Amino acid sequence: MGTLVLEGLARRYGATVAVERVDLDVQDGELVALLGPSGCGKTTTLRMVAGFVPPSAGRVLIGGRDVTRAAPHGRDTGMVFQSYALFPHMSVGQNVAFGLEMRKVGRAERERRVTEALRLVRLEGLADRLPRQLSGGQQQRVALARALVVNPAVFLLDEPLSNLDAKLRAEVRFEIRALQQRLGLTTLFVTHDQEEALTMADRLVVMDRGRVRQIGNAEALYERPADAFVAGFIGRCNLLRGALESPGRFRAAGGATLPCAPGAAPADSVLALRPERVSVETRGEGLPARLLAVTYLGAQTEYHLDLGGTKLLAIRATPAEDDPRRALAPGDAVTVHWSPAEARLLPALPGDLVEEAA
Amino acid sequence: MAALVLPAALLVLVLLVAPMAMLFRISLNQYSPTELMIEALSPENYLRAIADPYYQDVLATTMGVALSCTLIALLLGFPAAYWLARMESRWKSLAVILTLFPLLVGNVVRAAGWMALLGRDGAINAGLMGLGLIAEPLTLLYTRGAVILGIVAVVAPYMILTLASVIEAIPRQVEEAAANLGAGPLTGFRRVVLPLALPGVAAGSVLVFILCMNAYATPVLLGGPQFKMMAPAVYDQFVKGTNWPFGAALAFVLLVVTLTLTIAGSALLARRSRRG
Repeated sequence: MGTLVLEGLARRYGATVAVERVDLDVQDGELVALLGPSGCGKTTTLRMVAGFVPPSAGRVLIGGRDVTRAAPHGRDTGMVFQSYALFPHMSVGQNVAFGLEMRKVGRAERERRVTEALRLVRLEGLADRLPRQLSGGQQQRVALARALVVNPAVFLLDEPLSNLDAKLRAEVRFEIRALQQRLGLTTLFVTHDQEEALTMADRLVVMDRGRVRQIGNAEALYERPADAFVAGFIGRCNLLRGALESPGRFRAAGGATLPCAPGAAPADSVLALRPERVSVETRGEGLPARLLAVTYLGAQTEYHLDLGGTKLLAIRATPAEDDPRRALAPGDAVTVHWSPAEARLLPALPGDLVEEAA
Repeated sequence: MAALVLPAALLVLVLLVAPMAMLFRISLNQYSPTELMIEALSPENYLRAIADPYYQDVLATTMGVALSCTLIALLLGFPAAYWLARMESRWKSLAVILTLFPLLVGNVVRAAGWMALLGRDGAINAGLMGLGLIAEPLTLLYTRGAVILGIVAVVAPYMILTLASVIEAIPRQVEEAAANLGAGPLTGFRRVVLPLALPGVAAGSVLVFILCMNAYATPVLLGGPQFKMMAPAVYDQFVKGTNWPFGAALAFVLLVVTLTLTIAGSALLARRSRRG
């Protein structure tokens, strides 16, 4: 195992920027997820690490060695492809043994390690099958075993779960994470699924349109998003346009004046407020609001609110049956409240999709 | 559904099976210099076609040329097909049209072009002599080499397009996986691309081999009067010798040899691709 360092890694196609500049340090045994919508440059970044896309600028270091100019077969990375990319004409055992053969590992040792790798992904006894005789989940595990068996310095996963059905995906997610931790694999993981990234990764790199927006662990990204894009991409968030009226008071575009965290507002700022941090009461202290819609979701209930022209979403645990809030219906008057520190002023880059969640 | 294949089936019956049956019947007749053809049921034409050293030689030449052409077309065609299959630019359709370009010119016109290039006073000899590299013109035309060159130029597009369609179906990620696991380009080709492309190699080779075995205009025009392949020999019997029964027998010998070699070749490749 080793570390992975990306220094100012960039890729341009003519005038189009696929990846603007990525600086990233992946520690030994760490799992880092590249997360972002399609076209954000996450896959291009991964492919630059694997050596399939030559960078326009910057360096890739694996275990301290500069591999920026190295061919894919000289990089010692183990990649799991989105399509699995198993060799269709080789048996499961031959697929897994391929990397060991390339490394000139002797026959006895090879057989031992293939058996061991197949046991690790719970496919013992299927070595003689052809890939097409396996289910999607099993093929995925062969791809894992094939990449793991060579003990790569860096483990690369390109949306490895996107071809699995929802139930299997949750299971495999957990399995990959357990395997990665047990073997101490330095891993770079590409996904567009924030839940996948949040549950699996030690740290996440949020990317958008070729740019890294924020690097941090799940809690940092959720509680302290760097900008409006990250706030809207990780979890749900009310993002309100407007301007700071006075310290601690934000005048939203719709007309309402809302309490917010103290501090100077950056230019082009939006107010970011997580819907589950907004409490909804039938009476008492708070801002008056009118209910536009109530959506019962079992454990939670969504309240779509109108605060004098500004729309706001609140998500609360569904109240008990004898709670007066359980009877709330569209048109009802309520009061809403939140801790001002929860309402953050965040910069929004031009072109960021800033939409009200309500 | 069966009704849909009826027109095609009728066409095959009228245009292929019926003439073949008639040809086969003719091949069992006897030749007479005065009456041209006498009804008979005799194997003598076949016995002559097989036993006559002259026709053994013609058949051997035909098979040799066809095998050489198929092999050369395969070796030259594979890299071109790979390049074409992996091409992503907007020029791809242009590249396909350029590949097909040789087929837009008729066999005779194309052969005339080769003659202008390869002849005693052709462009190549004129150029080499002009540069002072040779004193006497080289014999390029009316050689086995000229015939092979001419046929390869015709059949290469068939080989390239057949291979390209099979290579296109091999996911690029599979090649990338091989590289990622430590296989250099050559190893990746040998262990992954080639085995997966074998069905295309078989299909392209069979197609090209059949075309080569039956080549007519190119051997006649580029091989000259001394160079004989089977298709011109059959033509000679029908038209020049007016010996229809023997010509028909020669045609069936060509057919059977071509079929046998084709089936044997594809069976061999099929076994290899199963073994992986």
